[in-house]
This record gives sequence, structure tokens and C-alpha cells, in this order.
Amino acid sequence: MGLTFKNLGLLVATLFASAFWLGYSWGDSGQPSFPPVTHQATAAECAACHMAYPAGLLPARSWQRMMATLDRHFGEDASLSPEETAAITRYLVGNAADSATANERMRRIASGIAFNAAPLRITETPYFGYLHDEVPASVWKRAKIGSRANCIACHTRAETGSFAEREIKIPKD
Amino acid sequence: MKRYYLAVPLLFLATFARAETPQQMLALYQQQAGGASAARGEKFFFAKVPQANGEMASCTSCHTDNPKAIGKTRAHKPIDPLAPVANRERLTDPAKVEKWFKRNCKDVLARECTAQEKADFLAFLISVK
Repeated sequence: MGLTFKNLGLLVATLFASAFWLGYSWGDSGQPSFPPVTHQATAAECAACHMAYPAGLLPARSWQRMMATLDRHFGEDASLSPEETAAITRYLVGNAADSATANERMRRIASGIAFNAAPLRITETPYFGYLHDEVPASVWKRAKIGSRANCIACHTRAETGSFAEREIKIPKD
Repeated sequence: MKRYYLAVPLLFLATFARAETPQQMLALYQQQAGGASAARGEKFFFAKVPQANGEMASCTSCHTDNPKAIGKTRAHKPIDPLAPVANRERLTDPAKVEKWFKRNCKDVLARECTAQEKADFLAFLISVK
């Protein structure tokens, strides 16, 4: 078989296809993995103390438990008026990891959690553990990270809902 | 026709009446408490209070010991400065001030703050130059 334009073209096309396949990782699609909070009150109230974690990071039962215990929120009083609490709960539950509109990643979070468990910490979900198990304890303690709650310290585009691998930049100190 | 001439400045007034100045807020708390002391407010800000877990906490745990500095929540999110001189939005929204007094007093003191403590603390923050 001689070198023709046809099989040279085929070779180049195959090269490009495999390069694309190898270089493409999960989360690279245009859609953010976990769309950011769009509900104004939810965004404002949650982000007063920490990143407004996307609703798709926890199942509905976790959000319900969270919103019912805001006066003891991880050791702090984060209570809101009954009206605000109701509106924010409605948004979080409606967009939770096990809601009808959940994407593939959210469903993986939801399906990893035992049916009788309602974790309050995203970092305690099995899916979070599975994706972060190679991060040594010493890294979490670095001053610029400080807390597992601090997504944006390493996931540079977390606030846009994107957690793609290539966007990770782990602070050196 | 004359009524319309009145409506315009009235609308203006209504818009601005909603935003309070720190001094107006202080006056409000002062009225409730019957006075305010910046020195007492300063002591209140730095006072270390034992917590249920055996550790000590104070306002400064998150807000740093400089009211003009940027603080940090336990989740490592920056907190804008407390002193109005360093943060123009501070002490301008009565609902916000009450909300955070309620939460943070419970966090540090395990109770709500008194009108006197609030008046003193506002007097201290406003006195920071």
C-alpha cells in the first residue's frame, strides 16, 4: 500500500481523534458540573459566610435537615426569618442532587449516600471522598486552603460551577 | 397640578430615608440604652469568652483585633471591615445590624446582646479613625 493522500489523511484524522479523546476529561463540556446558585436570597445568605455551594452537591433530605437546624449551623447561629428559610429551602430542594433536573454528576453524589443518611457536610459524601482521596492531610492544612469548605482555594472556577481537573491549582503554602 | 411638584421631592426623601448613617444607628441604640461608651464597647470587642468546647472566643476570633482590617470566617471567606471608616456600607442597614448582632452574640456569648452592649459597640466602631 503506497503513501496516498487518502491514507495520509486517515492517519492525520486518527491522530487528531485520539489526541482529542486523550485530552478530553470529564467536566470539560460547556456545561458546568454543578451550576451555581441562581436564587438571589440563597446566594446572598449562604455566601455571607462561605461559598454558596451549588444545590446539586447534596440530596434534598440533607438540605431539609440543614435548613431546619440553621440556629446550630456547624457550631454557629445562621438563623434566618421563617420566610427566608422557607424560600431558600424550596430552591435548594428543587435543585438538589436527587432532584428531577439533576445531571449525571449530581446523581452520582446522591446515589453514593445511604438512603437513611442525610449528611450536612458535602465533604462527607462518598463521592467527595472518592474524588479527593489523593489529597494528603498536610495539603488541606495549608494556610491558603485552611478548610475543606474552601472549594475556591484550589478549584479556581468553583464559583462558576466548574470543577474541571485542568482548572485545579493547589496553593503551595 | 401642584401635587405633582410635591411628589417628586417626597419620593426622593422616601428613597434616602431607608439608608441610615452609622450615627443615626448609634442614636437609635443609645435611645434604648440611655447612653453609650466607646471604651466599654472596645472592651466588649476584645473580651475573651470561654466556649462550651473549652476554647476561648471573642469578636476578634473572626474580625481580627483591628476593626479596620479584613476578617475571615471559619470557612475562610473574607469579612469586610467592621469600622465604618474602612467600610462605607457598615452600619447603614438596620436589619443587617440586628441580624448579625443576634447571630454573633449567640455564637460568642451564647445569648443575645443587650441594648447597652450594642450601643457601646457601635460607639466604639464609629470612634475608630
